[in-house]
Amino acid sequence: MKLLDVEIEENVKIANDIFLLSFESEYLAENFKPGNFVNILIDKESIYPLLRRPFSISFVEGKRVYIGYKVVGKGTKLLSQKSKGEVIDILGPLGNSFLTDTFDGKVAVIGGGVGIFPLLVLCKELKNRGNKVDVFLGFRDLNSMFLVEGFKDICDNTLIATDDGSRGYKGSVVELFKANVSNEEYKVVFCCGPKPMLKAIKNLNLPVKCYASLEEKMACGIGACLCCSIKGKDDKMYHVCSDGPVFDIMEVEIE
Amino acid sequence: MNLEVEIAGIKLKNPVIAASGTFGFGREYSKLIDISEFGAICTKGITLKKRIGNPQPRLCEVYAGIINSVGLENPGVEAFVNEELPFLKGLDTKIIANINGFTKEEFVELTKILTSLVDMIEVNLSCPNVKEGGMVFGKDPKKVYEITKSVRNVASCPIIVKLTPNVTDITQLAVAAENAGADAISLINTVSAMAIDIETRKPLIKMVTGGLSGPAIKPIAVRMVYECFKKVRIPIIGMGGIMNYKDAIEFFIAGATAIQIGTVNFINPKAVCEIKEGIEAYLERKGFNSIKELVGNINI
Repeated sequence: MKLLDVEIEENVKIANDIFLLSFESEYLAENFKPGNFVNILIDKESIYPLLRRPFSISFVEGKRVYIGYKVVGKGTKLLSQKSKGEVIDILGPLGNSFLTDTFDGKVAVIGGGVGIFPLLVLCKELKNRGNKVDVFLGFRDLNSMFLVEGFKDICDNTLIATDDGSRGYKGSVVELFKANVSNEEYKVVFCCGPKPMLKAIKNLNLPVKCYASLEEKMACGIGACLCCSIKGKDDKMYHVCSDGPVFDIMEVEIE
Repeated sequence: MNLEVEIAGIKLKNPVIAASGTFGFGREYSKLIDISEFGAICTKGITLKKRIGNPQPRLCEVYAGIINSVGLENPGVEAFVNEELPFLKGLDTKIIANINGFTKEEFVELTKILTSLVDMIEVNLSCPNVKEGGMVFGKDPKKVYEITKSVRNVASCPIIVKLTPNVTDITQLAVAAENAGADAISLINTVSAMAIDIETRKPLIKMVTGGLSGPAIKPIAVRMVYECFKKVRIPIIGMGGIMNYKDAIEFFIAGATAIQIGTVNFINPKAVCEIKEGIEAYLERKGFNSIKELVGNINI
């Protein structure tokens, strides 16, 4: 990891409250792995927001790094107002990676809302390793959809669920996955999304390994402040920023 | 320019110390910066037994600050000594062990274990995020005296007593610590605070209240350093919302011999270098020969 000053190339709205920011960084492009995140200092002089904000790396094209995010508070609102040429201070790449093994077979990837962002590059990497990849994406509605074409270009099957049924399956992405999983034999499952979604996946008690990317409020992003601790089995404590964000879903408590 | 400071015979090459709870056991930041830049590193709070800390959420951000309730998550003193201390000892900086007991006996036990292994011990009588010990002890001058005295009796290294700002008169605690034989005091720990999500009407911290740090508390901290400087003769280590060299200088003028930086480490890991350079440039610009000349040098 390094502290980097990068110049924004593009910062565009791609769906309701959803933005995609990009910048050039040879270091990050060469050193990041699927699942990694960066900590962005939105404004060096600001005392509110004060802390850096964590964002997953969505994908990389050459030296260009793409970060997707949703405007949810003051920090992300300020970030959305930044334009081409402005310099932001980035710390990264941080955290662990989705991929620790090579899987030879069929893989399921499940994403909900902004949890979809780190999955595009994961799917690409899984395909590069010779796997068959089915991706299940859950959105609120038609206006909240993003990156779907990108997944379609990469994955063998791209299945969509929307809460209001305006596209694809009407209902939750976990229900969509459940309906499908009975017919399929996946070697491994990867997921990222809101806690209720991850909890529902955990409750499926899948017979295969399932890895989830988690999120908690964090201050430092490197394992020093211990604000993002979560409980694992036997009261073992994990830190989402440095032990994760990707965990074996059965090894950690999802509250 | 001479930035060296001395606390109870221990020489720090500069007065900038990494504050407890913001720097882990040093390892994490060593991947980013040369942590030997610090005059000393104050470890994450250590307890006798391993603690898993408080439930999530432990952190929220408020205007000009953050509220945390980590609750002293740490691996316990044995793991600290075996697994963390060897790394810290390899650094060219002084090591201060921050200790937390839930009884007087626990403070004594921790001191006995650590006194010959570290340069100094910071007795934390001010953690706001535990139900026993911590701030509960630290609000009562009699308890501060009693625990400090007990620790002093078994410590062969200098001891620093860390004070809480969550009292009417912090100077009573400072005086109690000095009278009991503390070599230095450090202040302030975080300020008890609370924030509520108005949509859900739920507190933003699971434990309801937590400790506020960051720029929001700096004026409170400077005032308390100033008040204690008038009452005690032992060195004061000042902290609370120091974000840059200007903030640090204020603390020296108010009476601090050294400073600790905490929240800023999360935001700008290079802050230690920038603050040191800033202090040096300030001293030169103002015609001081050493940092010592600035301590308590206030024009009222």
